Amino acid sequence: MSLFSIVLRELAEIRAMASSKKLITRDEWEKKLSNVKVRKEDMNKLVMNFLVTEGYVEAAEKFRLESGTEPDIDLATITDRMAVKKAVQSGNVEDAIEKVNDLNPEILDTNPQLFFHLQQQRLIELIRNGKVEEALEFAQEELAPRGEENQSFLEELERTVALLAFEDVSNCPVGELLDISQRLKTASEVNAAILTSQSHEKDPKLPSLLKMLLWAQNQLDEKATYPRINDLATAMLEDPPV
Amino acid sequence: MPASAASNHPSRPEDLIGRLNSSHTSCEAKLKALRDLKNQIIGNRTKKLAFLKLAAAPSVVGILSSSAAAAAQGSGGDNREFHESVLIQSAAVIGSFACGLDAGVKAVLDAGAFPLLLSLISHLNEKVADACARSLKIIYQSKLAPKYDFLQKKSMEFVLSLLNSDNENVTGLGASIITHSCKTTMEQLTLSEAGVMKRLVGLLGGSLAQRDASLEALAAVIKDNPEVASSFIGPENGRELNVVTELLNDKYPRTRLLACMCLINVKNTSISYLQDRGIKNKLVLILLELLDDIGQVGDEAPFVLSNLITEKEDMQKLAFDANVVEKLCKHLQKVSFQAKCLQGIFIALADLCSKLECCRDRVINLTVINSVAGALAHDSAEVRAAACIFLKNVSRSVKNLSAGHFMNETVIVPLVRLLCDSCASVQIAALGAISNVVVDFAAYKPLFIQCGGVKGLVQLSKSMESSIRVNAVWALRNLAFLVNNRCKEEILLELSISTLASLISDPEASVQEQALALIRNLVDGTMNSIEYLFGEDGLLLHAVGRQLRNTSKPEVLIQGLYTLSNVASGNEHHKVAVMSQLCPQAGDNTETILVKFLQNSSRQLRTAAVWTIINLTLPSNPGASGRLTELRNMGVISRLKDMVNDPCLDVKLRTRMALGQLLMLGDAST
Repeated sequence: MSLFSIVLRELAEIRAMASSKKLITRDEWEKKLSNVKVRKEDMNKLVMNFLVTEGYVEAAEKFRLESGTEPDIDLATITDRMAVKKAVQSGNVEDAIEKVNDLNPEILDTNPQLFFHLQQQRLIELIRNGKVEEALEFAQEELAPRGEENQSFLEELERTVALLAFEDVSNCPVGELLDISQRLKTASEVNAAILTSQSHEKDPKLPSLLKMLLWAQNQLDEKATYPRINDLATAMLEDPPV
Repeated sequence: MPASAASNHPSRPEDLIGRLNSSHTSCEAKLKALRDLKNQIIGNRTKKLAFLKLAAAPSVVGILSSSAAAAAQGSGGDNREFHESVLIQSAAVIGSFACGLDAGVKAVLDAGAFPLLLSLISHLNEKVADACARSLKIIYQSKLAPKYDFLQKKSMEFVLSLLNSDNENVTGLGASIITHSCKTTMEQLTLSEAGVMKRLVGLLGGSLAQRDASLEALAAVIKDNPEVASSFIGPENGRELNVVTELLNDKYPRTRLLACMCLINVKNTSISYLQDRGIKNKLVLILLELLDDIGQVGDEAPFVLSNLITEKEDMQKLAFDANVVEKLCKHLQKVSFQAKCLQGIFIALADLCSKLECCRDRVINLTVINSVAGALAHDSAEVRAAACIFLKNVSRSVKNLSAGHFMNETVIVPLVRLLCDSCASVQIAALGAISNVVVDFAAYKPLFIQCGGVKGLVQLSKSMESSIRVNAVWALRNLAFLVNNRCKEEILLELSISTLASLISDPEASVQEQALALIRNLVDGTMNSIEYLFGEDGLLLHAVGRQLRNTSKPEVLIQGLYTLSNVASGNEHHKVAVMSQLCPQAGDNTETILVKFLQNSSRQLRTAAVWTIINLTLPSNPGASGRLTELRNMGVISRLKDMVNDPCLDVKLRTRMALGQLLMLGDAST
């Protein structure tokens, strides 16, 4: 967060100056930038945080060896988490549920919404595979009681069962449930819950830092002309159009 | 549903339990059955109940027990590994049965899971220890968990050892045990002196689960204990307090809620911390925001809010200004069936309406009365009671009562029905609401009587439970306030003179007081109503007189004496009867009770006594001068003369009025 406060201070200074746009040359800008001290360890931590949160376990291991940055979480748990995520992404929801329960039985017991979404995904997979009878039985035995406990679950359940009513599911109003994006949504929900249970942030810090950078540049655009980062992938400073 | 599909299902509950219990099942198959069971019940309340019905809890606890024994015997290698897997799976099953389900907690405790799990939290295999500690921690979320007595050295050492563990679930367990067991001031002090607070604050820097468990435990140890709260803030000038205050800004809603709870408990001990407007406002705003949380946090937030504002008018005003009333009322319309949430909202609204007229107005303008009617008929006793308490507090507003905002059928009918509720706390809450509501609603009295209101109250006035009896008589007393004779007769007919007489001599002083106050209201008004006291050979009059001679409780005496004072305002016959109750019986040398009342430290009792004298000696009555002589002989008049400068203005005024009247009767000695 220290980077952010530096940006804010700069902004405040500039705002205080003049009402007309100020021109900042590349030299001045680079001088200012080099005055900002960011510790290498902090940068490494940011990278490690990204690798760990996103589940790049091999890269995290390599990075640990090369940079000496210790991850704030046991890397073995990443493998487990990724296995759960992958199981949901490939439609093996039952397998995913068992894996989560092995990891920490409290997660699904204390998180009714997540549990419902996983069961819903199981139902979707059954429907996708044309197992109509099994799907109906599963909906009635496993999902209907959850719907009785919670109004919004009931609505979601009704939407899902509606899939069975259509001949051509790819072309029906609730067809998006069969979309791969639905699997990804469920997978990321499980991923986040596991991370939270491990007291880890569910989102990596790096993307929000980049968002903050863009926001700060936009704020600054109103006050000054300066060398801007337009392509985040290269992070090149581009001179302002004169 | 095709029946064949169900019967072919591989993991039917009966089959699964059969496999667990059978001695023919192979070890591997048993382990698999345990895992299946675990995966079926996690997150699934229906399945938990189904398996509990099949006595799954004793089966699993039995497996845990024999595996623990086998693992302890030290058969090495594969065998040990197998037993430890069984331990982990069965501990997880036990934890899941206990998770969010009191029936499950009861079942596993009855099956003897507690000591077994406890012995395993120090197991060498970390995964076994972890699983067992986690399940115990879950058990400690329930009210049914066994309590520890921290005054015993052994318990204290045990809980400290838990808090000092490296295992996150074990420290969490320690904190949960404290939250659950620490109830008395002594226990709080003992824990604090043993250094528990410091350790808990240390755990605030740990994992999310540790932090939340520690906040909860801290709140429990500080609650209502200024001494512990002061030592918590202690020598480092609030460093600990700052750690908790920081957590108000935490990202996780549950952590924010628990931090609020902890700080509110510090604040409510009325030590000098956390009393500035800034922090008060902040607490209100955070809780306001947490009300929107859709899960457990949102359900608990109103309770924490109630804790913050109850009995505190300044906090209620802050909450009102922050539009808490609107927010709560809006939620009320949304959460129509969730018991916990409804209960919390009504409790918080009740607190808001306990003192401030502006809150009551706002609630009524937001027309929540329909939700109240629904809540009065809710399945959950807690919701029904909370709705009654809310009604009671809203109807403290005379203005709104007069406008007849509450008294329509939608509220009265379910409210009266609650007089027959199966739960005593609901009955008491309903009586409280009725007591307030009946004070002033002339237009709706027939409706109240029609739907069995008086009958219900009379029934409860005969309850074995004294708290119910007193509230029932109280409600009747308020009902009898300024009503016409027809309504009074209705009450007397239903209640009967003999029941009323026995209520006057009830073993509980509070019941005596309300019964006398009820009679006082009954005889207030016309000459006819005074006659009620003379029915059945003056049974009531004698009961009142007896109570006046026998009790020393000022609150009882005040009501009794005012009753006689009301009677003394009647005709000659009435006044004579009052005199006979107040004068010493034949052969009794003790001074008259009237003199004692004039000397009593309660100014209300002195006022009542002087009023009685005034009514007895009204100069226009033929027997007035005779009674004056009698009173003078008893030493009442000389006592009265000493009171012309009574410290209480009201007494002073009435005394002068009485003396002036005596002068007209020709009391030359003045």
